[in-house]
Amino acid sequence: MTAGHKPLSDLLDDMALKILMIEPGDLSIVGELLDLTEKLLPGQAAADTPMVIQRMAAAFKGALEKFIMGELADSGENYDLLGQCISEMQESARKEGHPGENILEQFCDNMKKIGVSLQPSALLGVSDAPSAGMAGAKKDALDEDACAVASPQSDSARAQAPAAGGPSQEALPDFLQDTDLLAGFIEEAFEHLESIEVNVLELEQSPDDQDIINNIFRPFHTIKGVSGFLNLKTINRLAHATENLLDDVRNGKRSMDSAVIDIVLTVGDALKSMVENIKDVLQHGPANYQDTDISGFLANITQLQEGGGEAPSVEPVSAPVADSQPEVFEPEEVEPLASEEEAEPVDAPLKSAPPRAAQVAAAPRVEPPAGPAARPSADSAQKKIGASIKVDVEKLDALVNAVGELVIMQSLVRQNKLVSRIADAKLTKDFSQLTRITSELQRTAMSMRMVPIKQTFDKMIRLVRDLSKKSGKKVDLIMEGAETEIDRNMVESIYDPLVHMMRNSVDHGISPSVEREKVGKPETGTVFLRAYQKGGSMMIEIEDDGEGLNTQKIRKKAIERGLVSESDNLSDFELNNLIFLPGFSTADKITDVSGRGVGMDVVKKAVEKLRGKVDVQSQPGKGSLFTIRLPLTLAIIDGIIVRVGTERYIIPTIAIQESMRPEQANYSTVHGRGENLLVRGELVPIIRLYEIFGVESTNTDPCEAIVVVVENEGRRRALMVDELLGKEEVVIKNLGGLDVPGVAGGTILGDGRVGLILDLAGVIANKAD
Amino acid sequence: MEAASVAQNLGQGSELAGKYLTFSLGNEGYGVGILSVREIIGVMEITAVPHTPSYIRGVINLRGKVIPVLDLRLKFSMKHKEYDERTCIIVVEVQGQTAPVQVGMVVDSVSEVLNIAAGEIEPPPSLGSSSETENILGMAKAKGEVKILLDVDKVVGEGLLQQLAS
Repeated sequence: MTAGHKPLSDLLDDMALKILMIEPGDLSIVGELLDLTEKLLPGQAAADTPMVIQRMAAAFKGALEKFIMGELADSGENYDLLGQCISEMQESARKEGHPGENILEQFCDNMKKIGVSLQPSALLGVSDAPSAGMAGAKKDALDEDACAVASPQSDSARAQAPAAGGPSQEALPDFLQDTDLLAGFIEEAFEHLESIEVNVLELEQSPDDQDIINNIFRPFHTIKGVSGFLNLKTINRLAHATENLLDDVRNGKRSMDSAVIDIVLTVGDALKSMVENIKDVLQHGPANYQDTDISGFLANITQLQEGGGEAPSVEPVSAPVADSQPEVFEPEEVEPLASEEEAEPVDAPLKSAPPRAAQVAAAPRVEPPAGPAARPSADSAQKKIGASIKVDVEKLDALVNAVGELVIMQSLVRQNKLVSRIADAKLTKDFSQLTRITSELQRTAMSMRMVPIKQTFDKMIRLVRDLSKKSGKKVDLIMEGAETEIDRNMVESIYDPLVHMMRNSVDHGISPSVEREKVGKPETGTVFLRAYQKGGSMMIEIEDDGEGLNTQKIRKKAIERGLVSESDNLSDFELNNLIFLPGFSTADKITDVSGRGVGMDVVKKAVEKLRGKVDVQSQPGKGSLFTIRLPLTLAIIDGIIVRVGTERYIIPTIAIQESMRPEQANYSTVHGRGENLLVRGELVPIIRLYEIFGVESTNTDPCEAIVVVVENEGRRRALMVDELLGKEEVVIKNLGGLDVPGVAGGTILGDGRVGLILDLAGVIANKAD
Repeated sequence: MEAASVAQNLGQGSELAGKYLTFSLGNEGYGVGILSVREIIGVMEITAVPHTPSYIRGVINLRGKVIPVLDLRLKFSMKHKEYDERTCIIVVEVQGQTAPVQVGMVVDSVSEVLNIAAGEIEPPPSLGSSSETENILGMAKAKGEVKILLDVDKVVGEGLLQQLAS
């Protein structure tokens, strides 16, 4: 369904075909037609699309929207008019964007019959045609009589419709006929469903915003349309029913109350799992198909529609409807939600908390410092959308790799002994120009892989909403810096850890309202989710104003499990960060939200896989702050090259605190083995790199060598090396299948040889073993 | 019984027939299926990687890609030989855990590409311990010499896996 940039003529042919297939009453194809048309719109069309076609498309879209909005009867005649418009566009395309006056006049004429007033001169660009066309489209100009005016092709068009095989009435696997279309649909459906979620949550903030209601309506409409076309009957029916409900809301027949919002969200979830199932079917064969029972949904929706008409203005809590929802889920289909809902009465110890309290609370509030686009409201989101194309991730990665190699090759040439001896001003100048271009290229290539973390953050809105609703706690989520960009490859990997930490904060961090009020805190808890850049790193913070960690309890548990001994004198920071050790959980009761045994160690592992760090700071009674620090990109690392004997290693600059030649006075040993160095009043264990890497070193006396003081996971170590060779930004490469403790990867150094990048966590752990 | 095993051998042989890149290690001739060979390069500076078995010599820069290199002599517990101008690295591609990976194999010298027919291939001899022969697909008698046909996936793949396990 993502056509990329099909040739113009193909697009128009597709459109012509679609028109023939339209049957009155079947809006789904109109939706597809709209999608096709949008590919011709100014700003979205391929660069070689003639302007006149783009303008015609804009007007055409206006006409289509009238159909969708029900302003025009979807009668065969009207569709024939559309068909004529398309054939006029085809004609114009054949004439390479220079259609004669009469074609344009015909087009305008037909448009006028549909109700879009348009002047031929506007199409030629004399005035601002597209907007004029759109404005005309909105003006609901002509009535249907005008449209009924003769349409000679109607018979033939209708004759073809059945032949083209409009969606057959049979359900089930015949939707597998066109797997390409299906794959496209799946991808699109997920995007649409996600947009529904974000919009619904926004709506809770401003329930009367028509734009948002429209934004929610549209994806259901599109899903309905396309699924109908693809014969996905169940999805189609569910989306259709929901669309009808929303249509009532749009038309003011009922208000957008919590019952509607709830059903929209649950339907969204159900649709998601149904599409998920289709994806399974596509990947693993039809045997995986699961028919979802949607009768419960449909009944609920009907009930809402009937009930809603009578009391539109009151905001009904409509408890019976909301409560009956969980039952409509097929347990195996939508398991997580269903079980959560069922579990509600069990783990809601405070029935005093109003059940709806959480709803409004969980909506996003965004503070400005993150930049102009940080507010996740509909209008600012739209502003940001420029023209963009979809590119295969593999191609992108290949580009980034190639650029990385280019940068290396350039430095190889530059450092070539013969070349570097040439003292030619022109060559030097050219070289610096070349360097400038390659680094620009590198930056651009890298930035192409960067995406705002917004999409991940947006998912948290829903999460917090659900969690707070379920636990009966009032929680505010405040997001900052959602526009901060992060390596595309990291987005998915960071999602799970984030979910886990958010759950932790809401579930364990924030206390129930009653308890909060007892200690004089505002009834509503607050969870901050922040992202920002700091030095070459991306920081993500999750802060809550809850109870904070119980440091003494952690200590007790750690001693119980033999992780620390009674005599160990650990700082609060160190104690708190013990929660990242495997199997460590301090929660007394295990709720079904978090604390299922998978603890923070999973988070830590996931973050470290991304070469990041996570730690927690906490003040008892005041709250806790989790900080994730990630590299901006996974591809490049800023490092110091050190020499150990004949080998060279790269130490990530981010971890380095200082380097020095130690003085004998600061050097001490314990039992002749454990070596320490006194650095600024603190004892830092020495690690002899040559020892753990088994290479010959020039120096064996620390006082003749150089030590690099590094910090990792709050632990400081002094790495003993022979020499510091320089600082370089290096492209990280994996070792082609080798996975070595203490080595994060390899890189190609200026002389073309491979240098190993140290993984400090591994080095330190290695030494500890 | 005998007929069955002959048939089996024949079946095995016909599967194995094809083009092999042959090379030598000491006095022995070896062959690897040409389809898994990506390229042959002269020996270059190898960066040692710590905490790996001795037969993994380290990693090299193959036009911007970092690939591991293993020494076949060491892998087969033969005596180490200083690298000279005839020493080559055969770059092969094998199925890694997730994606195909390229790995270099250091050999004494590369000989030629031989077309080996099914009839020339015999099953590997039983040398008592199975670990000695599991890397071997078969023995080919070509041009009056015996070539040991290697199962590259086993030699290289398991070489890496063992490293991972350790």
